[in-house]
Amino acid sequence: MDRPLDEGRAGEGDPPAVDDVEMTEEATVHDDTELERTIGLVGGLAIGVGTMIGAGIFVFPGLAAGEAGPAAAVSFAIGGVVALLVALPASELATAMPRSGGGYYFISRGLGSVYGAIVGISLWLGLVFASAFYLVGFGEYAGAALAEVGISLPGSASIALGVAFGVILTVLSATGTENAAKLQNLIVGFLLLILSVFLTYGSLDALGVFGAESVPEAFAPQGYFPVLTTAALVFTSYLGFAQIATVAGEIKSPSRNLPLAMVGSVLIVTVFYVVTIFVATSAVGSEALEGFGETAMVEVGREFFGTGGAVAILLAGLLATFSSANASILSSSRAIYALSKDALLPAKASEINLRYGTPHIALALAGGPIVVLTATGQVELLAEVASFLHLVMYGLICIALIVLRRNPPDWYDPDYRMPGYPLLPAVGAVSSFGLIAFMGRVSIAVGGIIMVMAVVWHRYYAREVRLKGVL
Amino acid sequence: MKPTIIVPVRVLEGEGIEQGVVELLANARVVLVGYHVLPEQTAPGQAREQFEERAQNRLTDIAEQFEGVGATVEKRMVFTQDSDQSIDRVAEEVDADATMVLNPATEMKDVLVAVRGDVILDRIVDVVGGLLHRTDISVTLLHVATPDSDIDGTALLDETSAVLQEAGVSDDRVESRIETSGTPLDRIAEIANNYDAIVLGESNPSVTTFLFGETSQKVAERFMLPVVRIRQPRDIEDADAEIAEAAEEATDDGEDEIDGEESE
Repeated sequence: MDRPLDEGRAGEGDPPAVDDVEMTEEATVHDDTELERTIGLVGGLAIGVGTMIGAGIFVFPGLAAGEAGPAAAVSFAIGGVVALLVALPASELATAMPRSGGGYYFISRGLGSVYGAIVGISLWLGLVFASAFYLVGFGEYAGAALAEVGISLPGSASIALGVAFGVILTVLSATGTENAAKLQNLIVGFLLLILSVFLTYGSLDALGVFGAESVPEAFAPQGYFPVLTTAALVFTSYLGFAQIATVAGEIKSPSRNLPLAMVGSVLIVTVFYVVTIFVATSAVGSEALEGFGETAMVEVGREFFGTGGAVAILLAGLLATFSSANASILSSSRAIYALSKDALLPAKASEINLRYGTPHIALALAGGPIVVLTATGQVELLAEVASFLHLVMYGLICIALIVLRRNPPDWYDPDYRMPGYPLLPAVGAVSSFGLIAFMGRVSIAVGGIIMVMAVVWHRYYAREVRLKGVL
Repeated sequence: MKPTIIVPVRVLEGEGIEQGVVELLANARVVLVGYHVLPEQTAPGQAREQFEERAQNRLTDIAEQFEGVGATVEKRMVFTQDSDQSIDRVAEEVDADATMVLNPATEMKDVLVAVRGDVILDRIVDVVGGLLHRTDISVTLLHVATPDSDIDGTALLDETSAVLQEAGVSDDRVESRIETSGTPLDRIAEIANNYDAIVLGESNPSVTTFLFGETSQKVAERFMLPVVRIRQPRDIEDADAEIAEAAEEATDDGEDEIDGEESE
């Protein structure tokens, strides 16, 4: 824990911890103590895909098709391109700094502690908003599942289900000692399998293999502007890849597995999203899809395979939204840990519970607001604010890459170097910030207020913390 | 040469080492691996910040126990979400001969050695000889044959006993015992109840699924006594190639040097 004298002059807070460390493929070695890397490539992909797929396939198709028609597929494609433009620089930065904390870590080291504070707090709360959004989706699926077995509840009951599940999830993650990583891999494998069968059949059907070709409706019935606003809305479906970087400290052979997992998971989900919209709009039409709301895919499943199809999609939807919410709570608590390690939040925030071995305070700081936000039931607002807060970070990741490449500190030696510098990261930054402009006014206002509050917090609590260039 | 033995200890859960184990390893190079298993909710670095000092202090206390009886001790401390992976990694890094699975043992008088006819018999004998030659601990060599086995148990144990004697474990301390059972592992566990520790090999995966793939937790539950698990060289083909090479070199250097080598 030795730290050079001229760095980390913290004010009221504790000094940021700067360690003498050695990285190997399998462990991080701090003086006498080793930290094992336990997540392989499959585990990394499962984190990325598992976090993302719940939103894009099981919550958004109805909303997106309602706004943009079949052209919603283009909206998803745009989101995928933006995500890829960020996944590349994020991969380079992650191989240069394979530490837990992800985007927060890169930006605080590349651009300094003010940006670090903004991004760290945005990441924490962005994941809180995202998780609340997944839980609202989960509640919808739980309500639909109950309706399917003949228990119909009043309209607001699905929100109550989402809230209840948010509480359960938070308590479980604070008290559970079982390692669920293996389970996550299985869930994601199962989801991809169901979806592949379903989408293959659906695509063949849409192309007219099993009967009359479906009547093509206007591709972009509302014109092309809604395609962009929809892209901004559904961008929440791409928030998972950066979560892989939040556990970068636990990834085996990080120089190989981090880029593969980040870029790979974006490519996988993009294909699935685009095909899903194509299949869903061909099967029932975008207007009908809109009418079905968040659980529209259940009706698409019913259209193809009857009740069995509906049940399969319900089950998959419950699993997918659950795994997204769970992954986001865990990542959010990692973001809090990274902030508190750097003295941008009190050290108390990352304290570990001796009995359960879990960071109970950080989990409560994530889970508490998640439950409150889930209770609002505002799907689109939650999604857009989550995207807003992430897009700010994504744009800054691209800028951090440019800054670090132009003026590299001596520790900057990434094993993976992204192609197309400086054009691609610049395009990545512009498109990340640009997408924000197409969001609803309320979402932009809420996101903006959170960022201002982050700056105020930094001025008040951690003005003296220096992080730029400190590895 | 002192055999290198990995001794994994869950330091933060108050796991300690009993005197019997300390006595058994007095002639070993002990690589003490303190570990703490974390749920996936917890970043290993987060746990390190909070628990490192306590863990290191505890590890130092345990190291002193071993140093007190003359063992060479190295310390490692790992925060991990997968203890078996960490223990395997360290074992690989220090090229360990065996991994200790801890269980209570207040004294160390009688050690059971499970012998099968496979590639790691050499290593088993090396470790047992290395650990016991300067002690008065007695050894029972046990071969449990399956009903359809074609291994000559008596010859195997005689040969093993002879090699042990060369290593400094005199004849009068060594007993042999041959049994037949359809479920050898259960039979071994049963017999082991009368001993203070057991030495057995990880299996050659191509021959049988003896203990291969069993986590140390499972091994600890199956045997109620300390277990010295002899490590299988990770790549059997490599090991075979090495043996073949060594034999070839030996032949080149002259007949004398391969005397005493196993004929297999």
